[in-house]
Amino acid sequence: MSGLQLQHLEKIYDNNVQAVFNFNLDVKDGELIVLVGPSGCGKSTTLRMVAGLEDITKGKLIIDGNDVTQTPPKDRDIAMVFQNYALYGHMTVYENMAFSLMLRKESKNTIHQKVMAAAEILDLTSQLNKKPAQLSGGQRQRVAMGRAIVRTPKVFLFDEPLSNLDAKLRSSTRREILLLHQRLNATILYVTHDQTEALTLADRIVCMSMGHVQQIGTPLELYDDPSNLFVAGFIGLPPMNFFDVELRAGQAICKDFTVDLTPEEQKLLGWHEGKTVTMGVRPEHIVPGGTIPVDVISNENLGQNTLVNGMVGKHKITCKFREWCTYKYGDIVKVSFTKKHFFDRETTNSIR
Amino acid sequence: MASKVKTLIKKDRLRFTKNKLSAGLILAAIAINALYFVSIYRSDVGSYYYNLTIGVSILYNLIFMLIAFLSSEGVKNYKIGYAYAAIVLGIVQIGRIFVLPSQAHAAQNTVVGKEAETVMLDDQFGYVAICLCLSAALLICAGVIGIIKTTTLRNYQAELDKKNEGNNQ
Repeated sequence: MSGLQLQHLEKIYDNNVQAVFNFNLDVKDGELIVLVGPSGCGKSTTLRMVAGLEDITKGKLIIDGNDVTQTPPKDRDIAMVFQNYALYGHMTVYENMAFSLMLRKESKNTIHQKVMAAAEILDLTSQLNKKPAQLSGGQRQRVAMGRAIVRTPKVFLFDEPLSNLDAKLRSSTRREILLLHQRLNATILYVTHDQTEALTLADRIVCMSMGHVQQIGTPLELYDDPSNLFVAGFIGLPPMNFFDVELRAGQAICKDFTVDLTPEEQKLLGWHEGKTVTMGVRPEHIVPGGTIPVDVISNENLGQNTLVNGMVGKHKITCKFREWCTYKYGDIVKVSFTKKHFFDRETTNSIR
Repeated sequence: MASKVKTLIKKDRLRFTKNKLSAGLILAAIAINALYFVSIYRSDVGSYYYNLTIGVSILYNLIFMLIAFLSSEGVKNYKIGYAYAAIVLGIVQIGRIFVLPSQAHAAQNTVVGKEAETVMLDDQFGYVAICLCLSAALLICAGVIGIIKTTTLRNYQAELDKKNEGNNQ
């Protein structure tokens, strides 16, 4: 396994649409990086550039210390797992996994040993004689992973591999990918639009929007210390609540409510005294009891916690309470905020 | 030690790969048999071939191709019965040399001006005999390989089952 460097990568299509802007990333050996963002943010394009399926307009791609920007895909020593599995329907699982090695003209015994080892890792030994059509979605995806594993590539690329699976299967396959990563200590670049996948799998997350990298950091950094409004709104489920507030005399004053700032927050926001900033509060940082009145619209019990959607004046708000609640439409719940994030309204950057 | 491991891997491989070699040999035998019957059926030697034998020959060729193809698919999946069928077909191919080709090779040509020749000339007889021998050899080889591989696989599978039973107990 080896490292991967993406230096000032840009992608401009023939119709002059720019999909990726100045993408810089240094992936360490054995690291699992997740590219996350909404549809059309350029994450798959970036992955395809790494795979060699898209030309790199500007910048450099370095794998294991070698510049492979102009190298054809087959010579980059990478393996890609696609969302739609891309398995050969007329071949058995064994043949699917062995195919790339057969093309490399490796000996039949070597191929057999590699396929059996990969099948053992992925718990596919009993499925080797089956055709892809006889397998479930999760098993098919495991075959696709097995096909990548047997090649022992320098870098694994995963392009939304779990998107075709149902929620339960997605969760178990996600766990398998994580185990696989730990077992192989492989360098993995993983693309998803699902933030749960990103948060649970990644060593580091690259959050993208409109072709730009918004923030690179550990899952905790992105959740706890988002660099801007986009990251704050994208990471976390349900998403963060935002309010425009005016900072005055140690208070954040909104049209519909006022909250007191902690001494740390006052110190942090000292430069912005008298200005209007955006305040963000995660639903899980809202607790019952306080002075802010929430006019309840819906009460969604999830078992472990309850999502309460409501209005604070003209602002929509979502609260995530830990206890089982039975609020009804029209109830008024008084809440308070345990943690707040502040963002500059003009630049949308976090105020740190 | 290394050769033992190699043998073991070879055996294990049989569990997941098909017997494409035998299947391929049988398909080649079908193709070569086609060369034989094309050579016979395009003969232009008066009315010698216009009798029941040629009808039976045509019918047999159709049945041969069908059974050979089924055998090809069967041996591919390690079905020992089809391997035996391939061997039987191969033996029959040898026997066929002594039916239509030999008879035609011995019969006198009745076409005016060619009375001194036989219905089937030496060249054609040699050619069809080679075709039938070759297809017979391919079928027998395919059958023998099929039997060896299938037996090896069966024994190995039985060994594995025994081991698994032991582990489960």
